[in-house]
Amino acid sequence: MNLSAVNPTFFIASLFRTWWQARLRKSDTILLTQRNIYILPTKAGLLFAATLVTLLITSINYQLNLGYVLTFLLAGSGVVSMQLTHNTLRGLTLHMKPVTPVFAGDAAGMDVVLSSPSGARHGLGLKIESADVTTLTWVDVPSGGQATAHVSFVPASRGLHELPTLSAETRFPLGFFRAWTVWRPSGQVLVYPQPERPPATLPSARPTPGGPAQSKRTQGAEIEGIRAYRRGDPLKLVFWKKAAKSMETGGELVSRDTSASSQHELWLDWHACGLLTPEERLSRLTAWVIAADRAGVNFGLKLPGVDIGRDHGDGHRRHCLEALALWN
Amino acid sequence: MELNVLQRIRRLPREARDTLFLLAVIAWTVLPHLPHLPVWCVALTTVMLVWRTQLAVANGPLPSRWWLGALLVISAGLTLWTFRTLLGKEPGVTMAVVLMALKTLELRARRDAFVVFFLGFFIILTHFLYSQSLLVAAAMLVSVWGLLTALVLAHMPVGQPALRHAATLALRTAIFGAPIMALLFVLFPRIGPLWGVPTDGPPTTGLSNTMHMGSVAEIAQDDSVAMRVRFFNRVPPPEAMYFRGPVLTNFDGHVWRAVPDSRAMRLFDLRTRGEAVRYEMTLEPQRLVVLPLLEAVTTPPSVDGYRVMARDDLQWITDRPVFERLRFEAQSHIDFRSGASATRASLDEALELPPDYNPRTIDWASRLRRDPRYARADARALAQAVMTHIRFSGYSYTLAPGAYGNVNPNGAIDEFWLDRKLGFCEHFAAAFVVVMRAMGVPARVVTGYQGTDPLPVDGYYIVRHSSAHAWAEYWQPGIGWTRADPTAAVAPDRVLRSRNLARPPGLVVGAIGTMSPALLGQIRDAWETVNNRWNQWVLNYSRGQQLDLLKTFGFSSPSWEDLSLLLIGSLSSMALAGAAWAWWDRHRIDPWARQMDSVRRALHSLHIDAALHEAPRALADRVRLQLGDAGTTLAELLHAIDRHRYSRAAAKRPDNSMTRQFVNAARQLRRNR
Repeated sequence: MNLSAVNPTFFIASLFRTWWQARLRKSDTILLTQRNIYILPTKAGLLFAATLVTLLITSINYQLNLGYVLTFLLAGSGVVSMQLTHNTLRGLTLHMKPVTPVFAGDAAGMDVVLSSPSGARHGLGLKIESADVTTLTWVDVPSGGQATAHVSFVPASRGLHELPTLSAETRFPLGFFRAWTVWRPSGQVLVYPQPERPPATLPSARPTPGGPAQSKRTQGAEIEGIRAYRRGDPLKLVFWKKAAKSMETGGELVSRDTSASSQHELWLDWHACGLLTPEERLSRLTAWVIAADRAGVNFGLKLPGVDIGRDHGDGHRRHCLEALALWN
Repeated sequence: MELNVLQRIRRLPREARDTLFLLAVIAWTVLPHLPHLPVWCVALTTVMLVWRTQLAVANGPLPSRWWLGALLVISAGLTLWTFRTLLGKEPGVTMAVVLMALKTLELRARRDAFVVFFLGFFIILTHFLYSQSLLVAAAMLVSVWGLLTALVLAHMPVGQPALRHAATLALRTAIFGAPIMALLFVLFPRIGPLWGVPTDGPPTTGLSNTMHMGSVAEIAQDDSVAMRVRFFNRVPPPEAMYFRGPVLTNFDGHVWRAVPDSRAMRLFDLRTRGEAVRYEMTLEPQRLVVLPLLEAVTTPPSVDGYRVMARDDLQWITDRPVFERLRFEAQSHIDFRSGASATRASLDEALELPPDYNPRTIDWASRLRRDPRYARADARALAQAVMTHIRFSGYSYTLAPGAYGNVNPNGAIDEFWLDRKLGFCEHFAAAFVVVMRAMGVPARVVTGYQGTDPLPVDGYYIVRHSSAHAWAEYWQPGIGWTRADPTAAVAPDRVLRSRNLARPPGLVVGAIGTMSPALLGQIRDAWETVNNRWNQWVLNYSRGQQLDLLKTFGFSSPSWEDLSLLLIGSLSSMALAGAAWAWWDRHRIDPWARQMDSVRRALHSLHIDAALHEAPRALADRVRLQLGDAGTTLAELLHAIDRHRYSRAAAKRPDNSMTRQFVNAARQLRRNR
């Protein structure tokens, strides 16, 4: 930012870029046509033109008809390569797949599906528009087929982010021209807070408020906590005896409701994080959510203004992480 | 063993393989230059290319820039040491080849690769400075193809594309570019050299304005074509096939030179007898002002773009040197007399002998002159006497007589005439002229071409550089200049049958010749025909042909500007056509998508809104659901479309009749409701 403020060229260029990108409509699919493909000669193309001039002058000075043939053959190929470079992009369809959420600090991967209705396309490169040329992801699209390019970027912070503007370019076949397009994909990516590393130990579970803090087993090996089977429950948790009875009567499988949760409740509490800045608290809570989920225990999440009841499983985890990502 | 090598190459990583391919292309491109390059350059280039190959195979690190800088300085120094300059053709080619090899050792970034490609294109062009033959053109076409393939490979970053695939893509690019090449070649205005007069262009051999002892020997071994002649009315006999080039009168003891134009454009005196021989001549670039026409020409031939003038010594000269292939018509009279009215001053020039040169030959000549048998002899009789001497005094004709003048730089002719007696046309001609002058007879050396290939090819008689010749003329009062060919006295074959000393044939040619001389002749003739067409249509294409072409297009008096306008017009319309095609092409979408578009539109008219992702099968279910029994036909059609596209026996393209059927059925349904 400082640089662009100091250097007027940068400043104007960035203004232009902002204005230009604002004109582009967001879409999750884009068909590349003449209207959204740009093409300019590359440095190599200019060098090639200089070579052609040298060849032509030599041919003229030495009156070499074969030299003319060579010069014009190369010139013809160069001109045709412009058309071919443009063709490589034209008619191509880019489609953005939904982007899976990531933790802050990790790279978010965008899968772009390129499909070509006609011939094969070679040497297509995708990158974040503002990123360096070296970050290009190269992909070939087979004739009448599809290919997926994986472009990643590191979101700056947690929260819901717009997908960055992408550019697709090609220099195929001769590299004398660069054809490119700028695309604003319409999707969003959810960024969870960065989990604290190393993670702080989970807070200890509290006894159920109001209930007796007793052993979970009652007399006669009767198991107190059972619940309906949930996908993902390990087989050893399935309470086969009871399940058999239940299924005879048209019911479902039942699982033991293990965990201390029946007696002890694990709450991941904003106020239990210690004296940290809000972002650090969020990081710690995120690490806890991950740890608790890994341990397979029931847990709840308490943030100022947000209260998520005790549960477990993927959906619960995602729910908690989303809350952490979007909290403010 | 060979298979193993191939397998090893195939197993190389992508980068190594691409580098090896590029090195092979470079080697192929440089190879034809080997005879023109100094030994050190050949050695250095070979070492560098082998080094790079080894690095590519072993995936070793490239040498540091210090190495490269040192090599560059060394090769520049060697070039300077070899040629005494860095400018000009030979040093330029040498440096280009060395730079190319050096650059392969510095292939780090994409930019380096481009420099190699562009140097490669330039080296290809330098081949044409030496030869523009069909063979060279074919070899260089392979080079261009190879370089383009390497370029395409460099822009296919994914996976390991097959070389053949890249080569096909490169070929496609070149073939698409061919019409533009043809257009530019035909219409790009041909102009003369932009600056300077290149004296080192192709061919390096040919006639010269001066004659040193030994300089013609190089021409005599050059079998390339100097000109092609097509006779219209009659073909002169071989012994009359003298094509007159520079006439060398002034002799300073070492070098023979022509009389300057300022003193040679005073009195053109030529009388002819009999019918003229009319012919068309296609003349390779001579880089001289002299047109080597058949002796002797009375009326100036009209050569497009040049002013042609006659000199007193029957040389026809152009107003500026000719660097292009010329085609023109001319007529000559084989039976002619010239110079009977020559001025005393011009004859004096033809009598001058530098003092202190070749004293023994001059002494020999004056003794002959004093011989009582020749006391009353005229110039003709004296010439006859000298010819007889040449014939019977042990002279022999050879292309490799060795150098003369090493023992005594002032006595080169003495050494030839009296001691070694070995030589070819120029030795005989020069000695003959010196002897005649010593006897008081004005004489001069004439250079040019003598004789053609015995049989015409495609109607054209071919005159080769190996037919370059030097003969003499002496003057006698009342008659004028008379041709005397001393070479004919010692080697009559050389003149009568136009057979030069044949070089030993190559191995293959020799084998074919032994088995079937007729076949060899046929092959040679066919080759000459192709070569002739190549020369006529490609190499000979010049401004004259361009303007002729414009005339056939209906331009009454075509000019340079018309040519440029036509070229710009054609290129613009080509560009417009390309843009129009691209514009039209933007509507071209996947035919399957177009089919689904029609289907969705038809369904929309029936108030069924289909989403983009819904397959025909899914749509069929919805049609059944929403239209009930009325939709059965539509649903079946949708199933048919679905099968047509997705089943095991799916078609490549949608069937448009199915689409139409569906749209019609939908329309009917809408009407019925």
